[in-house]
Amino acid sequence: MQKKKKKSHVPFRLNALFLSVFLLFSILIFRLGYVQIVKGAEYKQTSDQTDNVTTKLDAPRGKIYDRDHRVVVNNKPVYSITYTRMQNSTAEDRLKLAEKLSHFIHKDTSEVTERDKKDFFILLHKKEVEKRITAKEKKKLNDDQIYQLELDRVTKKDLDQLTDHQLEVLAIKRELDGGYSMSPQRVKVGVTEKEIARISEHLKELPGIDIKPDAQRDYPFGNSFKGILGQVKQIPKSKMDYYLARGNDRNDLVGTSFLEEQYESVLRGKKSKIEYMTDKAGNPIGDPIEKKGERGDDLVLTVDMDFQKKVENIIESELKESKSGSFAYANRDLKEAYVTVMNPNTGEILAMAGKQYDPKTGRYKNDPYGNVYDSFAAGSVVKGATVLAGLQSGVITPNTHFYDAPLNFGDGRVMKSVENMGSIGPLTALERSSNVYMWNIAMRLAGYDYSKKRFIHENVEGAFRTLRNTYAQFGLGVPTGIDLPSEATGYHTGISDDLAQAMFFAIGQFDTYTPLQLAQYVSTIANDGYRMQPHLVKEIREPSEDPNKLGKLVTRIEPNVLNRIDMKKSDIELVQKGFRLVMSGAHGTAAPRFSHKSYLPAGKSGTAQVDIKTGMDNRTLIAYAPYKHPEVAISVVVPNVRADTPNYEIGEKVLDTYFEMKDKGEPTK
Amino acid sequence: MLMDNEKKFSPWQQIDYNLVFILFLMFCVSCIAIYSAQQMAQYDQNFVVKQIIYYVVGGIAIVGVMFLDYDQYRRLSWYLYGLGIILLIGIIIAPLSLVPDINGARAWYRIGGFAFQPSEVMKVALIISLSNVIASHNEKYIIRTIREDLILIGKIALVTGVPFLLIMMQPDLGTGLVFIAIAGSLMLVSGVRWRLIFIITLIGILFIATLVWIYFTFPQFFIDYILRGKLYQLDRFYAWLDPEAHPDAGYNTLKAVLAVGSGELFGKGFLHGSVYIPEAQTDFIFSIIGEEWGFLGTSIVISLFFLLIYRMINVGLESNEAFGSYLCAGVIGWFTFQAFQNIGMNIQVMPITGIPLPFISYGGSAILACMIALGLVLNVRSRTRKYMFGSNQ
Repeated sequence: MQKKKKKSHVPFRLNALFLSVFLLFSILIFRLGYVQIVKGAEYKQTSDQTDNVTTKLDAPRGKIYDRDHRVVVNNKPVYSITYTRMQNSTAEDRLKLAEKLSHFIHKDTSEVTERDKKDFFILLHKKEVEKRITAKEKKKLNDDQIYQLELDRVTKKDLDQLTDHQLEVLAIKRELDGGYSMSPQRVKVGVTEKEIARISEHLKELPGIDIKPDAQRDYPFGNSFKGILGQVKQIPKSKMDYYLARGNDRNDLVGTSFLEEQYESVLRGKKSKIEYMTDKAGNPIGDPIEKKGERGDDLVLTVDMDFQKKVENIIESELKESKSGSFAYANRDLKEAYVTVMNPNTGEILAMAGKQYDPKTGRYKNDPYGNVYDSFAAGSVVKGATVLAGLQSGVITPNTHFYDAPLNFGDGRVMKSVENMGSIGPLTALERSSNVYMWNIAMRLAGYDYSKKRFIHENVEGAFRTLRNTYAQFGLGVPTGIDLPSEATGYHTGISDDLAQAMFFAIGQFDTYTPLQLAQYVSTIANDGYRMQPHLVKEIREPSEDPNKLGKLVTRIEPNVLNRIDMKKSDIELVQKGFRLVMSGAHGTAAPRFSHKSYLPAGKSGTAQVDIKTGMDNRTLIAYAPYKHPEVAISVVVPNVRADTPNYEIGEKVLDTYFEMKDKGEPTK
Repeated sequence: MLMDNEKKFSPWQQIDYNLVFILFLMFCVSCIAIYSAQQMAQYDQNFVVKQIIYYVVGGIAIVGVMFLDYDQYRRLSWYLYGLGIILLIGIIIAPLSLVPDINGARAWYRIGGFAFQPSEVMKVALIISLSNVIASHNEKYIIRTIREDLILIGKIALVTGVPFLLIMMQPDLGTGLVFIAIAGSLMLVSGVRWRLIFIITLIGILFIATLVWIYFTFPQFFIDYILRGKLYQLDRFYAWLDPEAHPDAGYNTLKAVLAVGSGELFGKGFLHGSVYIPEAQTDFIFSIIGEEWGFLGTSIVISLFFLLIYRMINVGLESNEAFGSYLCAGVIGWFTFQAFQNIGMNIQVMPITGIPLPFISYGGSAILACMIALGLVLNVRSRTRKYMFGSNQ
């Protein structure tokens, strides 16, 4: 019975173990009694509580009409493929998904950047790229620096290896990567029926992919003016916080450029909301409460699309003409031209057109934004402002005459006008576009005595400042205030103490201005010194039920005077007279083309040297008409011209067209 | 060797059908609860079917375990222990492809489509080797002084300490505590003097108390040298003691208590649970039972565990060999601790650790290990010689 003895303690100890098990389980039972019976009702109540769930449905954006109430931007119902990213999805998962999707949909690859391609190349050829980093570098650098080095070492040749199909996969992957977790991201807007069919068939193999009804902007006038209308896209990452703070959802489409961006708050619709209660499991209870959404408000533009189209056609045909025949070689660098037409009294933009020649395709594409976002040396068109600067500062009077002959500074430099004009006053100086007269103004502003060939009280910088301040009063070099986001204000060359530079500045050779600034400048002269804020939108209207009628007026954009220039009225009238002489005087630079016009135009032409060696200039024209009661002002900028005068031809045809249409009741009504 | 009054039955005739029946009831509870849990979210796999397969595989394992006389396991104990240790070391040195990192811990081997947790193997191996160590020690030292008891405690501590340290490297505190629970219950049954058991318990309590004291008195020292900067380790405790104030860390605790509590006395009914708990089929299966079947259901589940352990205690009491009793005690320590810890964390009695509820939670490794352990107990019972006239010595 040895065993028994050995084991004698075991039953007692096992019972002790059982006792502790019993105690532990008792604790559980007591606690369960407390949780489920004592506090049970309380927990039950909490668990029965419902959640309010709101689903939102997109409301259409407002439409855009032209001043004749023709639809310029419309909404087109389309289907989009969306991707909802799960929190744990990896780059590899999305690459696989993009690869699969590429077999079902076609995706444009034009938005893929070089950086995207490099990242993609590294993802595809990880090992190969890793080999390009030496062991020494690996030791020294951290992971980010190594990746940067890898990026640097992906060559152009590597990127050329990427096939068209791979690029398409990359273009899709970009969209997949762009999203936020749990929020649907558009992979492709406006998929074809075939694509929908193929995707639906394989939806099970495509986690996160969905097909949803969507809206796309539609442009009945095609590419005409489209560049200024702007784009509607998903909210860019950099602006996400801005839009989220304004009640947008992550996957919303917003205006990302130009008018669509500027008037986002107007065009954006109110989403319809459906609120319903759910239990904790997410099952809806009862009837949902629906709050109807509203389409965004509509915009009515100041632009007349008929006129706009005609201006575009004029630019294109004149560019073609200047680039053909005997001018073809000389004008090899001529590519573009810009025209802004506005009402000088109200600031309404009637047309804003530009064309750009694409040597690859031989086509001319619309480039209206060049009027607002590109700037050019404008040449003699600024002379009106230079004369006013002279008059206002008192360095000249309306009767001051200068002798127009080549200026000689004794150091071999000779500066002259197009021709020697003899003794001339400010009117003739404008009419014949005298450089020497303007230089005299600049020299006086700088405190230089030409007859003595020395400074009396040197102040070249002061001359710069006076001229620039005067130009700025007309809108040259400062924001015009147009209703577009971040307009260009031209290139400001700074202030120098070189007298010659100040003199060239006085004839428009240094700073650069946008065509829109030139239009505002000439309008200010036409408008007796009142600088008007240009605008593209005339009215904001409520959406209407009847597609043939506009909705109720919400806001009319009233003419807004930005400033009145400081000069005396008589001084402004002198410049107006000078501008009229340019187009009607015996020696007027633009008179041959405009003197017989019944609409009595006034204006100023300009030539700014861009490349002296090959004789390449920017050719410009600013004009308004009729001279007594101006109703239209234009600016024409044709950069990089070596032969021919497309600025005159375009200006003439645009003004002719305007008055022809006016006779028929358009485009100013 | 057979005594006259000893009647011999074949082991298969002595199967404890009480235990088998309790196991069957647990199987039913498990399937019903998992079926409820998988309604909660969009799972593309049917966990119930898989659980049934695991049970079948586990059943085969029980039969396999029954073939050898449990005495044979005593001889094999060191091989099993060595295998367990090698597998645990393997976890540390194996490549990521074989041992993937899941939520910051590496605890699973993944081979092909199968995954298994070596710590489950170690639990079985630990019980067998500790039982062997204690049985051998007690056979050797018939007359026991404090010295012999201390040697035994040292042996138990050594045998348990090695796998415990390895498991803490994963890190898996929950499983580490299971090892300690197994060692503790075996030490209790091993016959070590009560005085020593009290002293060890006291040391344990003092150790924890010291940690708490350091935490409150020298928090910076605690963070720098005890947590080694891993502040998130504290979340577990914050979430347990005050989940409302730490809703992120305490999310599971809040949800589980809400689910169990809202079940009230009779539950919301099968498939009528409404509190969403992620991955409820594994560690939070008890909250599903509590919500849908109420206090009634939870009491039944606890009673099933109580009956299971009661039966195992009986097997341990009836066993003719001390080694058999020790096996039972080890298994009891294991099941009791896991059941208490798992149910406890569902009702905020214990902090949350990743320990499944034996026989009920979904999971292949765990079911298989529990079945093997139960197989050992059944084995002990089947090979217990019954005396016709009983033995009341």
